[in-house]
Amino acid sequence: MNWLGSLRKQETTHARFICVLGLTILALVVTIILPPVADSQLASGAAITIVILGLSWLIGWSGQISLGNSGFMAVGAYAAGIWAHHHATTPLVFTLLLATVAGAFSGLVVGIPSTRLRGPYLAGMTLAFAAAITPLAQNFTSMTGGEGGLFFNTLTTPKWFLHQFGGINAAINANAQWSADLAVVIAGVMFFFMANLFHSRSGRAMRLVRDNDVAAELMGINLPRTRTLAFVVAAAFAGLGGALFTLLNATVTPETFPLTLSITLLTLMVLGGIGTLSGAVIGGIIYSFSPNLVSYVNSLTGVNPSSNLGANMQGIIFGSLLILTMLFAPRGIAGVGLKIKHSLQSRRKLESVENVN
Amino acid sequence: MHNIFGGLAQGVIYSLVALSLVIIWQSTHVLNFAQGAMAMLATYIGMTQIDRGIGYWWCLVISVVVGMVFGGVTERVLIRPLYGKPEINPIVVMVGFLGVIEAVATAIWTSTTRNIAAPFSQVFFQSHGNLVYLSPFIIFQVILAVVIMLLVAALFRFTKLGLQLRASALAPEVARLLGVRVNRMLTIGWILSAGVGAIAAVILASGSFGLFPTDMDGVFVAGFIAAAVGGLESPIGAIAGGLLIGLAEQFILAYWSPNVAPLGGIIILVVALMIRPQGIFTRTVGRRV
Repeated sequence: MNWLGSLRKQETTHARFICVLGLTILALVVTIILPPVADSQLASGAAITIVILGLSWLIGWSGQISLGNSGFMAVGAYAAGIWAHHHATTPLVFTLLLATVAGAFSGLVVGIPSTRLRGPYLAGMTLAFAAAITPLAQNFTSMTGGEGGLFFNTLTTPKWFLHQFGGINAAINANAQWSADLAVVIAGVMFFFMANLFHSRSGRAMRLVRDNDVAAELMGINLPRTRTLAFVVAAAFAGLGGALFTLLNATVTPETFPLTLSITLLTLMVLGGIGTLSGAVIGGIIYSFSPNLVSYVNSLTGVNPSSNLGANMQGIIFGSLLILTMLFAPRGIAGVGLKIKHSLQSRRKLESVENVN
Repeated sequence: MHNIFGGLAQGVIYSLVALSLVIIWQSTHVLNFAQGAMAMLATYIGMTQIDRGIGYWWCLVISVVVGMVFGGVTERVLIRPLYGKPEINPIVVMVGFLGVIEAVATAIWTSTTRNIAAPFSQVFFQSHGNLVYLSPFIIFQVILAVVIMLLVAALFRFTKLGLQLRASALAPEVARLLGVRVNRMLTIGWILSAGVGAIAAVILASGSFGLFPTDMDGVFVAGFIAAAVGGLESPIGAIAGGLLIGLAEQFILAYWSPNVAPLGGIIILVVALMIRPQGIFTRTVGRRV
């Protein structure tokens, strides 16, 4: 998996494109095999992957800690939701674009004051933003539908796709697979975009700012602009991911984006590997199948899933995983993979040296 | 007048939380994101003893003691391995801890609000037939908070322990050379902080707000904003910040909408940080590069 995260500079955009295309096609094939329930789980996972890509960029590459990405998601989701609620026939691309722009704008608003903050101040400030955004949705009831939220139905499966399916559950199967395919393709496009961004001029500038801001400033990098840009990009990704997430669920309520979602996002990113592309995908896959994981743990420990403990198992598992990963393997699954690869490589080199002697 | 007393009552809770954050920040340079949740758990453990016929005051003591033990253990187990690591690591660990605590509390006590009978009446006083919007409970709340603040201040200012605590926060290496057991001081800092936080949580739960697993989330955010406005370094700044946020919130609540109140705190934070990024009550210190 880690070859995706470690694409080197000299490898061209072309190579990256082939990688992403291959991975996307693989995911599309998987959606054909999986049952409809797993397909819709995968679709949500793809939406979450987009959000984690942005978060990984922000925390891993620009070194700014944000606990507010569920807030950016909410902004994008409400932008898409309000639009889709009134204009159900707008092409999906337009709705998603709108959400992305709305997300980016919220990133700008949060990002500008944040350039003066660092570390814990920034984390707290973004947490406060995420905490303030959902009550706001409850306030402007006429627009957001208040507590009850909004309903819309924009993800209609095209006829040609529907015709591929037969049997009693044709429509259900087709819908699930169509939305999964759609989400996977969008996630693939965003992955490609982020992969290029990681290795672009801005990406390198971002890393320099993270590692040594004084040196970066001496090199002529505009610190506030670079830091704000990191927020804008992360928020745009979160907005798009949030919009896709709600369009898939056909509803948005204030409860869709609780503070715990920020914790979940952080867990997935840390678990996958901070600042790696493959880590975001791993995080998305873990999210997709976290319900299965939770029910597996419940059955393993003999906890009744409908009991109080069973219902809160996900929070307990995710929180514990976050703590354990940070204490024992802070670079996550992708980081561990990279370590194994490096140790294998160095051993091979050692062997070849010994052979020469 | 309604707003002033209400804001003061809410403000002292924020001040206590902010103070507890400042104590931890001074000793270990960690912003404890699980501070609110830890205090909530201590309150649950302590105050549910009322069901067993134990009186309110003993339950308050139990809550504080449980909170303190909890704080010390947390520092030893979760924070100690992270000293010297990048500053994101303790933040992420404490955020994870927050998630675990809230999930466990919901699993044990469900998310329904529990009301804890306040030790004093919450009915407003009347003067010549007019309400003065001040109840015995609000007076108790403010007095308790002030007493705690004075105790903490006295501890830091006048005792040998306080001197050691301040020394290990200011110059750990020098303090260690002079025979202060710095590691122990860090743990004591966490214990103190968790105790102060637990008192804030008990006051909050005894009022009309009630006790539920996420009841400290908003309070933590407000307390953080208060501490950040004061600069995270200054106990006085934290207390003043807490009162400011409490009052501002009450006025937004009264004249606009309760849903906009959290936004008010952020605006105060942004404005304060724009004026003085290092906090209003801290001395300017150069950042070493």
